[in-house]
Amino acid sequence: MPVQMSPRTAHGALLAALAAVTAALGGVFSVTAATPAALRVQVVDERGLPVRDAVVELHASKPPAGAIRFPWKMGMAQKDQTFMPGTLIVARGSTVAFPNLDNVRHSIYSFSKPARFEIELYGRDQTRTHTFNVAGSVKLGCNIHDEMRGYIRVTDMPFAGKTDQNGYVTLSGMAGGAARLTVWHPALRTPGNESASAITITGGAQNHKLKVALR
Amino acid sequence: MSPVLRSVARLLAWRFGTLSARIALLYAGLFAVVLGVVVSLAAEGLSRFGEASAARDLQANARVFDEILAARARQMGDQAGVLAHDFGFRQAVATGDAPTIASALASLEERVRSDMAFVLTLEGDVLAADASGVPAPQTLWARLDAGETRGIIASGQGLALAAAAPIEAPDLIGWLVIAQPLNRAELDRLVELAPIALEAQVAEGSTQPEWLRGAAANAVFEREAAGERFLYHVSDLAVLQDGIAPRLVLRHDLADSLAAYASLKWWLTLLAAGGIVLVLGLSWKVARSVTEPLQQLDEATRLIGQGREVSLTVETDDEIGRLADSFNQMVAAIEERERQIIHVGLHDGLTGLPNRKLFTEQLANVLTRRRTGEQVLVAYVDLDDFKMVNDTLGHPAGDALLRMVAEHLKEDLPDALIARLGGDEFAVLIDGIDEKASLGNIADRLQACFNRPLTINGQAASSSASIGIALAPGDGEDGITLMKNADLALYRAKHEGKSTYHFFEPALDEAARQRRQLELDLRAAIKEGGFELNFQPLYSLAEKRLTGFEALIRWNHITRGRVSPAEFIPLAEETGLIVPIGEWVLREACHQASTWPSDVSVAVNVSPKQFAATGIASVVLSALSASGLAPQRLELEITESIFIADVDTTLATLHSLRDLGVKIALDDFGTGYSSLSYLRSFPFDKVKIDKSFVEDLGTSGNGHAVIRAITTLAAALGMETLAEGVEDIAQFEVLEREGCQNIQGYLFSRPVAAEAVAGLLRDGVGYQRQLRA
Repeated sequence: MPVQMSPRTAHGALLAALAAVTAALGGVFSVTAATPAALRVQVVDERGLPVRDAVVELHASKPPAGAIRFPWKMGMAQKDQTFMPGTLIVARGSTVAFPNLDNVRHSIYSFSKPARFEIELYGRDQTRTHTFNVAGSVKLGCNIHDEMRGYIRVTDMPFAGKTDQNGYVTLSGMAGGAARLTVWHPALRTPGNESASAITITGGAQNHKLKVALR
Repeated sequence: MSPVLRSVARLLAWRFGTLSARIALLYAGLFAVVLGVVVSLAAEGLSRFGEASAARDLQANARVFDEILAARARQMGDQAGVLAHDFGFRQAVATGDAPTIASALASLEERVRSDMAFVLTLEGDVLAADASGVPAPQTLWARLDAGETRGIIASGQGLALAAAAPIEAPDLIGWLVIAQPLNRAELDRLVELAPIALEAQVAEGSTQPEWLRGAAANAVFEREAAGERFLYHVSDLAVLQDGIAPRLVLRHDLADSLAAYASLKWWLTLLAAGGIVLVLGLSWKVARSVTEPLQQLDEATRLIGQGREVSLTVETDDEIGRLADSFNQMVAAIEERERQIIHVGLHDGLTGLPNRKLFTEQLANVLTRRRTGEQVLVAYVDLDDFKMVNDTLGHPAGDALLRMVAEHLKEDLPDALIARLGGDEFAVLIDGIDEKASLGNIADRLQACFNRPLTINGQAASSSASIGIALAPGDGEDGITLMKNADLALYRAKHEGKSTYHFFEPALDEAARQRRQLELDLRAAIKEGGFELNFQPLYSLAEKRLTGFEALIRWNHITRGRVSPAEFIPLAEETGLIVPIGEWVLREACHQASTWPSDVSVAVNVSPKQFAATGIASVVLSALSASGLAPQRLELEITESIFIADVDTTLATLHSLRDLGVKIALDDFGTGYSSLSYLRSFPFDKVKIDKSFVEDLGTSGNGHAVIRAITTLAAALGMETLAEGVEDIAQFEVLEREGCQNIQGYLFSRPVAAEAVAGLLRDGVGYQRQLRA
């Protein structure tokens, strides 16, 4: 799917940019410290255009223990009749808050297998939460606003991120060796909107380009 | 030349009885031809227009039908969309709740009267209450995935119109498809929505007949089937399934749309026929407006030809009106001229009185109208001595006299019809005279008209007239008889002495009849030589012998015996027969005289009429040369009356005769218009003293003086004298004593036959013998 600068994705892009900057800073630090492994992945569609808000996860053979913490807020706000950010990566077991920042009431439903739930209409400045205990992708909708789409990627992997407006995402801190790289995007033309590929982490800065077919 | 032109030319050449019919038919014919062309063009145009508009309609209706199909598909799509957006349905599809989906689809089919509803998931699975008849998912998926939502699919029941609605939860998880087979019933229901009568059929392209398969899409074409004309429109339909190519065929019966134009054509033809009738009528009317005046003119001309009085009424001031006006003026002019001509023909130009013709007509009218007990008087008037007035005073004076007389008649006899018959003859008609009225008074009154004093060229003059009167019914019932009798009466009046009147009496008629018979006999005598000459000797006192003979004509009438010259000579004078008779006398006298001794001459009387006739000199010359007589032995005796005519001409004739060498004697001297000037104007050889003077010698005392005067005068003028009618010796002695030189009369001899002349010359005659003795 070509990049569309809808209000929702614009906010997403801003957050992704912040994340990238943070990652880059981290990268700078790791280079200066002990040159830890970093994988910079660019996701492009079949025409070579960068794909934004694609979730890239690195499934290492030996996942690191301990709770996964992502540097972004575990929240999906409703503002200007969009979910914000449109795509949110959370660790399994996270509880995500859904604050309604709009003047109208919203409901939230999900028919996705990992998390089927329904939150009745609630009003401005109210917040609802839901805890995602199963890994997978959850598609959120608002029953009264068909156009509202939100995606929550529940993951077990700490090495996950979503691409910025240039299709880039950088994963870092993983160990070397063979690994599986998955890309998820709601418009991805594959079953489950997910595609996986094998990759070998060499340790150090590593670039990878993924070409995906979008609907 | 085309047949059309030939027939038109024949039409033009066709002779119709009337101009109006010709004009009307010509115009109507031309109009019909033009109208026929226009109508046929219009009919052709209408047909083409009808076909074109039907084709256009079909084209438009094809679009409309497309719209109908699209609307139907849209409606189905909307209906599908309602369910596809239903939260519960989406949940059921998202969670793969097959029974719920099946029941929902069944409910949908029921609700929207669709025959088929199913869900095709993004994964390519078909969810339906009854999946039978649903096309293979892989043939649908690509088009649905490409976003197509409406089109034709091939279901188990045939081609069906299908509409799809995406199911999103919230992302696309599949499509809800509902389909409606496009069977006959459905299509019939749909074509009812089209504005024109259509027959629609949706069929797979490959199953269509060859001509339909080959037809270009979205074009209208015509095709005949079973004698009927149809318009076809073929279009490709959008599909929602791969591998099918359905085509929509719309058929329209051309007869339906042309039916309206057909009635229009009828109206047009009817209108044209009406127009032709109208034009025929109008042009007939127009033609009549031209030809009717012509007919009137024709009729008027015919009537005028028959002599009737006609005037056209001028109704308009256009050409026809002016023609009528001119015609009227022409008629008036013709009538005026006719009137003048009739007037001239019936009136006398000089006096303005009616002429003989009109008089005769009027007389006839009057006689027809005459009532019993009334008399009609016809008087013939002849002016006495009018010829003398003409000769002495000139013709203008004569004309003036006639005009004055006419005026007097008109003034004095206002009730009478006065006519001038010619010359100096007038006729008077008086009608309504009572039986007992005094006719003498009327005649006197008539006579008195001419006694009025007259002034000619400033000189007082007098006139008189002889009048003959005849009366109806006594003297004749008809005009011709009356006029003849009046004329006879006039003749008698003239003979009885002038200035008198005479009533007709039957004896006059008898006299006239005898006169006519005598004239006929006279003519026969001239032709057959019924005349002979007698000769009376002339005794010369000086020579004491017979010096000549006077030739005297004798007529031995076959039945009446000898007719007196006194009876037939005046008749010959009147009729002009005197000329040939005189000529015969001259020739015969000369011939006889040529046998006589050369000292004996012959004297021949020449009548005034003979003298006035042209060529008297040549007649004399011819007689002389034929007989061989010496001119000096011929003596012509003329009377004084020859001088009444033109004196100069008379003198010229006398001189021409004298030039021949003949002698000329003046006969009957002393009677009539005796004038001494005659004697002076021409040197006569001899003067014959009239016998009345000789007779007087015995009775009156002054007879001697007259004889003496004449002889003295003659002697003075160098003329010889001769006395005629001498019967006794007393007369002879007086004459001898008074100096008369020659004697003629019974004293010597009666006239004798020609054979006796020689004897008389030899033996002497009567008193001569006594004188000899």
